Amino acid sequence: MMAHLPSIALKLSHLQALVLFALVIAIAFGFLGRRQPIERLKYILWTLLLFLLIGVGIGWAMYPFSH
Amino acid sequence: MAEGETSAVAPARDSKSETMAFVVAAAGWLVPGLGHALLKMWGRAVVCFLTVGVLVMVGAGMRGNLFTSRGNDAFDSLGYIADLGTGSFYLVARSLEADGPDVSHADGDYGTRFLATAGVFNLLAALHAYEAARGRKA
Repeated sequence: MMAHLPSIALKLSHLQALVLFALVIAIAFGFLGRRQPIERLKYILWTLLLFLLIGVGIGWAMYPFSH
Repeated sequence: MAEGETSAVAPARDSKSETMAFVVAAAGWLVPGLGHALLKMWGRAVVCFLTVGVLVMVGAGMRGNLFTSRGNDAFDSLGYIADLGTGSFYLVARSLEADGPDVSHADGDYGTRFLATAGVFNLLAALHAYEAARGRKA
């Protein structure tokens, strides 16, 4: 029998979930992929921008099929 | 003579560093960031730990599906492998999801992806630590 930790209930909108995911993964990739701080920062910003643009772009591309 | 000694010692050293690399990778898988911490890559260690931690907390908070070994099809098995990638955080996610998963809403579906991403990212980080321990550019 496993003891349960106090559960947390999260309600995020689609955009909030997308932004949180993109931010966390962009930072992680930046730290793993680059060594120099300035290079990391550039990589993080670029990855974050691409995540958001592609995510929102795919969302709009699927929009006509939702009706 | 000196050349002979060098060639005899080198394989032993290689074997030792290879074993060390495996230990680093296993530690990194079991506790996210520990592999990099063993290599004194503190920034990467903290980021790996926090990334996997945040993704697991959010994924479990959104009541994502945490796969078990009793899956019905290949996708369930793949999901289980991805979730197991979080190492010890798999148990944390299980204990956080006291009410079980709820994928009847978009939140739960997002949560499932957060949990799987945490596992796959941790496997990637463990592989990165393994390569760094072997002396590859990282």
